[in-house]
Amino acid sequence: MNLIEKYLAIAAGEEEVRPGMDIRCDISYVAAHDVTAPIAIRQFEEIGVDSVFDPEKVLLIVDHIYPAATEKARKSVWEMDDFAKKYGVKLYKSGQGVIHQLMYENHQAKPGEIIVIADSHTCTCGGYGVIGIGVGSTEAAAAMATGKLDLEVPQVVQIYLTGKLKSNVFGKDFILHLGEIFGTDYLTDKGLIISGPGIDCFSTEERMTVCNMGTELGSMITLFGTHARETDVEETREIDLSLLEPKIAKPYSPVNVSDVKAMEGLPVTQVVVGSCTNGRLNDMEQVVRQLRSHPVHPDVNMLVVPSSKTVLEAMEQKGWCKIIRDAGATILNPGCGPCFGAHEGLVSERDVVVSTTNRNFPGRMGSIKGQIYLASPATAAASAVAGKIMVPAEQ
Amino acid sequence: MDKIKGRVFVLGDDVDTDQILPGYAMAEPFEQLGTYAMAGAPGLDFAKRVQKGDILVAGRNFGCGSSREQAPHALKMAGVSLVVAKSFARIFRRNAINIGLPVYAADLSDQLKDGDIIEADLVLGEVRLPAGMVKAVPMSENVLKTLEYGGLIPRIRAELRKEKG
Repeated sequence: MNLIEKYLAIAAGEEEVRPGMDIRCDISYVAAHDVTAPIAIRQFEEIGVDSVFDPEKVLLIVDHIYPAATEKARKSVWEMDDFAKKYGVKLYKSGQGVIHQLMYENHQAKPGEIIVIADSHTCTCGGYGVIGIGVGSTEAAAAMATGKLDLEVPQVVQIYLTGKLKSNVFGKDFILHLGEIFGTDYLTDKGLIISGPGIDCFSTEERMTVCNMGTELGSMITLFGTHARETDVEETREIDLSLLEPKIAKPYSPVNVSDVKAMEGLPVTQVVVGSCTNGRLNDMEQVVRQLRSHPVHPDVNMLVVPSSKTVLEAMEQKGWCKIIRDAGATILNPGCGPCFGAHEGLVSERDVVVSTTNRNFPGRMGSIKGQIYLASPATAAASAVAGKIMVPAEQ
Repeated sequence: MDKIKGRVFVLGDDVDTDQILPGYAMAEPFEQLGTYAMAGAPGLDFAKRVQKGDILVAGRNFGCGSSREQAPHALKMAGVSLVVAKSFARIFRRNAINIGLPVYAADLSDQLKDGDIIEADLVLGEVRLPAGMVKAVPMSENVLKTLEYGGLIPRIRAELRKEKG
């Protein structure tokens, strides 16, 4: 069995599992946020049970539209508050941060455990060895009641990494490159394991960035393995990381990828650094590296969104917030920010955005005609300074 | 599960959840989601043109992107009776079935145009097109069972009752 199969076998209480098998897994956590929780709550009440499977293992988090941008958004918070009190579960409702970051900081599940969140970027936890299954509200409601999740054991594709990254190339560039290779649906319903000595190039936080966007490639489970080559996989592809250049995803798909070099010089009007993809302290370090000595270009609206209060506090302590603000950027409250187009930095048809977020579909951040380019924090910050798309300097 | 017959709406590849139900519409009252169905697809004017019972026929990777269950809810509330696509993004497919909206994998978008009438037999895995019958993969027993209950919640409710005896 490969690593994913080993973990699924344990979760399902089976000796052995094989691709295609239907299994019922025990889960460690189930969570939902302010966009998915209201429907999950409605569905949970329909089931007709009088408790959740384990109040310690059920979490609700307000991250998508915090602070409330509409009356409806605020009503959702109250629905979550009522549910949390009724069933004795934890509710994060004060802007503590993005659900995937809080799972990492406060509820770190152990490698091999399964967490289920009503959010597509649940796969982020593959960066620390946890199997994250993104579901919709109804499936989350069912999991809250039962503590179980039905899965089909996936075929697994392995990426075996060798070589060392250049100093201006990051986890984001690597996952965009995988999008360039696989497109949006080659990995649909499959597992993806990233292994080999090259994985040492990526810190845990960088690995979280890589796994975060596994869902953009259609993958069901994205997981970092070990230096060893996995056996029992459907396919293995080798990548020499030393050959990788900074990458950028062009409108309107996360897999419409080219080298940043090929897009250099395109004028930019807004830059966003943040989200569950790239809102961690290592990402902010790349921003500060650029803004320490160069102001943001006057034609660029630069928004920085830490993924949690813990990240923001660390930025404050290091003096980074002052550097970022003095350079002309705006630090927004921790949360999802403008990533999904509900508030805090929407764009018009005249905007060209470089963003470290995960999706650039039409209308993702406001106008259907607004153009969103996805890149690493280093590329985003270099572009913010230049006022146009720019390859970050090697360090 | 009965056969599903309806008028076809043809869409392309990679129809994402921001097109099916844009982020801004998720803050609207749940009961009104149907009026925002496909609001993120420029020029389609879907919510005005769709009629009860219509069938969406799309290319590959339908429903990619967000886990928002509002997306299949919006299609269902707008009157869509079935989505047929060459392939589906995993979470969308599960969401649709979980809320009782049938989705079916078959590569038909090149053979159909808006307004054509098709009839799908999900149990046998057959779709009747104007040009004749197309054989596709029958739905799994597990999926059919969930759809027969009308979705995952009624199914779980029934199963939990059974467990209790």
